[in-house]
Amino acid sequence: MPTALIADDEPLLREALRSQLARAWPELEVIAEARNGRDAIKQFEAKQPEICFLDVQMPGLSGLDAARHIGREAHLVFVTAYDKYAVRAFAQGVLDYLVKPVEPERLADTVARLRERLRTAQPALNSEALLRELAAQLEQRASPSPLRWIRAQVGQNVRLIPVDDIDYLRSDAKYTLIAWHDDAGKVGEALISMTLKELIVQLDPACFAQVHRSTVVNLRAISHVARGDHETASVHLKGRTDVLPVSRSYLHVFRQM
Amino acid sequence: MRFVLGVSIPLGLLLSLSFKTSLLSVLARTIVLGLIAMLVFGLFEQWPKQVPRWLARWVIQVAGVAVSIPLTAWAIYAWFMTAPGAPPFWHDQDNVSGFLTFSILGVLLAPWMALGALVRQKEALARHQALSFSLERSELERQALDARLHLLQAQVAPHFLFNTLANVQALVDAGSPQASALLRSLIAYLRAAVPRLHESATTLGQELELVKAYLELMHMRIPDRLQFGLHIDEAARPLRCPPLSVLTLVENAVRHGIDPSEEGGRIDITVQRRGDRCLVRVSDTGVGLMKSGNGLGTGLATLRERLKLAFGGDARLNIGTQQPRGVYAELDIPACEVTT
Repeated sequence: MPTALIADDEPLLREALRSQLARAWPELEVIAEARNGRDAIKQFEAKQPEICFLDVQMPGLSGLDAARHIGREAHLVFVTAYDKYAVRAFAQGVLDYLVKPVEPERLADTVARLRERLRTAQPALNSEALLRELAAQLEQRASPSPLRWIRAQVGQNVRLIPVDDIDYLRSDAKYTLIAWHDDAGKVGEALISMTLKELIVQLDPACFAQVHRSTVVNLRAISHVARGDHETASVHLKGRTDVLPVSRSYLHVFRQM
Repeated sequence: MRFVLGVSIPLGLLLSLSFKTSLLSVLARTIVLGLIAMLVFGLFEQWPKQVPRWLARWVIQVAGVAVSIPLTAWAIYAWFMTAPGAPPFWHDQDNVSGFLTFSILGVLLAPWMALGALVRQKEALARHQALSFSLERSELERQALDARLHLLQAQVAPHFLFNTLANVQALVDAGSPQASALLRSLIAYLRAAVPRLHESATTLGQELELVKAYLELMHMRIPDRLQFGLHIDEAARPLRCPPLSVLTLVENAVRHGIDPSEEGGRIDITVQRRGDRCLVRVSDTGVGLMKSGNGLGTGLATLRERLKLAFGGDARLNIGTQQPRGVYAELDIPACEVTT
């Protein structure tokens, strides 16, 4: 008798899939249930089921992580919640997948394919390359937009600072100093353990401009730019007394304005 | 064109006073001169395509106009003012003085007119640009508004809806009495979430009902991983609260705190009315903030914007980590009662 594992973090959905499978494939024996990716790997190793139904979005290790661990030692069927990106990613590949809520017809198709593969003793489809491709497809949308919040140390506390509220950032060895103001307009400083270089690439270039090797300024926080002698300039900020020097190689930032 | 005729006609009339020939003929001569000068001006505006760097195009245009005047005047007098067979016009005293008058006056006036035309062109261009800029800006503002609306309308994520429906289906299939409870919470959630997208203000009481329905739903879906508690000051219920504001914070706590955690955690919501302020605190014991706060993007950003719109900068939203684990979000808004 064929054996299977069901992994889903929602108990009701594990139960639902189990009873749907009981109708669509009475001979299949569900020998293990898992509530997250780590649990799925553990159960797989202990019980060695031939088929694994893996929910893609699970806490800790995801269904995809578990899949990469299991590799081709079992036939895999991914189960995903309706999400147009996820569905598109799966539809482009050849791997088996089901969309929640699972439709009986769709499940019947999948069961027919799995039966055929087991009958002819075909190897599992899920090669490392296919899984990697799928992971890349799913991750594509993970960070398309610029950073909006920065987690930073303010005194003893860790705060989330909205990127819009940052006045400027100054590199300080391994740290970056963040000068910002809160909703009430009160100014403050915070430290973040990322280098300025790492941060710059995540900031929206339409709002933040580098004006010095160690300084990046929020263009909306600038009150005015004063021109100095010998091709120098300094940036004055709204609501702050700090004056930021503009080095020669970054003067072009203000020239076009 | 209008500009050239407008200058040449009065000028021709003025000149005709001192000329012996007919008014019409003098008028025709001035107008022809003016039009030729305009053609030259237009010609040098397009040609040559590339102007040497040391020479500005407007210099060529003005110089071209200046040169064209005596040449045209010469041509007029040589061909039209001299009868066939008559001696060349420079033997006729009247014609010579006429030619000189036209040339000198033309050379004196035309370049100024050319300069005037250039200035007018520049102004028109600037006006056009200013217009298209403001057009572009209002277009951008409209797009931002559209984006915000879309975002609001997308609040009930299909992902959430279908997952919940999958749960409802599972319960119905299993003939569980829980099915109707789950369905009731889903209906309460949808009823509260959907029409409120278009309202600008609701009461905190309504908002908290929505939050409660949402948490009950989530608790049924992941009973082993989510516990929650609501601690609400009854005096805060009639206060004004932008729709979906507390829900956004709670959804974030679930999505970024509880959902990624294998053990799950607890969400507590505390609402207190303190004089003329109202404090709403949403805390969870989930996985905490990721290093750069990534993924917490749009929901919170739009919430901040909506708070700004609703309270004109008098609302504060603070988010931080708490000990030993988890995240808190604190909303500090003015306590004003909804007047209906």
